[in-house]
Amino acid sequence: MGVNQPTALEHVLITTKVEKVINWARASSVWPMTFGLACCAIEMMAAGASKFDFDRFGAGIFRATPRQSDLMIVAGTVTYKMAPVIKKLYDQMPEPKWVIAMGSCATAGGPFDSYHTIQGVDKVIPVDVFIPGCPPKPEALIYGFLKLQDKIMTSSIADRYKDIFEEVG
Amino acid sequence: MAEPIEPQAPAAPEAPAGPYVYDHAAAPFRQVVMPKTVPLPSFRTYTAEVAAAAAADEAKWQKQLADFEVAKTKAETEGKDAPKPPVRAVPRKDDNDMKTPWPVAATDADLLKLQELLGDSVEECFEQAGERVCQVKKEAILEALRVCREEPSLKYEMLADQSATHYPAAKDFAFSIVYHLTSVSRSKRLRLRILVPEGFIPESACDLYPSANWMEREIYDMLGIRFANHPDMTRILCPEDWEGYPLRKEYPTVGWGQRDIDFRDDRGGVLNRLAMEKAGQLGINLKQPKAD
Repeated sequence: MGVNQPTALEHVLITTKVEKVINWARASSVWPMTFGLACCAIEMMAAGASKFDFDRFGAGIFRATPRQSDLMIVAGTVTYKMAPVIKKLYDQMPEPKWVIAMGSCATAGGPFDSYHTIQGVDKVIPVDVFIPGCPPKPEALIYGFLKLQDKIMTSSIADRYKDIFEEVG
Repeated sequence: MAEPIEPQAPAAPEAPAGPYVYDHAAAPFRQVVMPKTVPLPSFRTYTAEVAAAAAADEAKWQKQLADFEVAKTKAETEGKDAPKPPVRAVPRKDDNDMKTPWPVAATDADLLKLQELLGDSVEECFEQAGERVCQVKKEAILEALRVCREEPSLKYEMLADQSATHYPAAKDFAFSIVYHLTSVSRSKRLRLRILVPEGFIPESACDLYPSANWMEREIYDMLGIRFANHPDMTRILCPEDWEGYPLRKEYPTVGWGQRDIDFRDDRGGVLNRLAMEKAGQLGINLKQPKAD
């Protein structure tokens, strides 16, 4: 008795709950960046239009600048020429930021086993959710986005900045 | 007892005779199988082949006749029955046979006019599947284009497309540059082409046809053929620092390792340096060939 009980100090510390509130706020207002590379962008537009209505999940505001967006949906083939641009755009996004690789091209190169195609956008930027399909339907994109919301809800600041903390020491 | 058949190791492929050096042992998955294709279908080659085949057929028939005469006289002297006379085999004609349409001699007025105006500059003229093809000498392409554009009876106002092919087996005419001309006013199309070796710099058609600008840049980008007097002879599709020419036959489909770079490590944007390092690990020499 009393072994598994929280101590008095742990009753006082409510960082978990603050994180939960922050995560809830973040997951409910993920603003994607307008970033279509190929045919997957058509499905992304369909997901944002009235029939599927991405806005129900708080992700309907497609920002035209990386500096005001939280989510980069890489919708399409990533070529060697585009890769530095993606890298620069990702670096311009403010933290916290997430990335969805939409479609088999952005996931693993897709049918383009060729000299000009990066075999997966995860060679350029870290990816949170991969959505297979060629192209994925809007439902698939919404499902992937819901998975991303789950990930945001279960994430913690300590996890996200673990590498930096370890580096700083 | 038969000896057991030992599995034969596949013969190592020969290194392609190109301007680039491959180390197949270091990068076996990047082997390039060089095609042993013939160059573009030439009308003269085709007619020569047809004539040779007809001559061989005629010789075979004459030999059959001679053999028959010999057998006949032999049977007469021996008092036996006369042998059957030979029957010449006629190739079966099938109207539904879908073969490649073979080239025929030029009868179109445009081609005859071109031959008349250009004279010795025309290497060959023929029609294939109703399409007019004219092959001119590589030094005379600009003159041929000017005639096609400005001659009142030709009036090919538009350069609809310009492309090139690579047949490395044909040494002196490894590349062909094809000009697809369209006459909007006369609703006609014409194909001009030149055959050039590696390193030849043909004249740019930009002064005559402004649409040639980007298409010649694309040819340079993909096949490495430079054009003289071009206003901006730079790459158009590939990045500026790209090494090699992707549509050449010796270029591996998966490239030379540029796409395998981990861009997350590349903070300074010096992608080409990483490509060179990666290629160096794979034993591939990416240095540009000397113009020489």
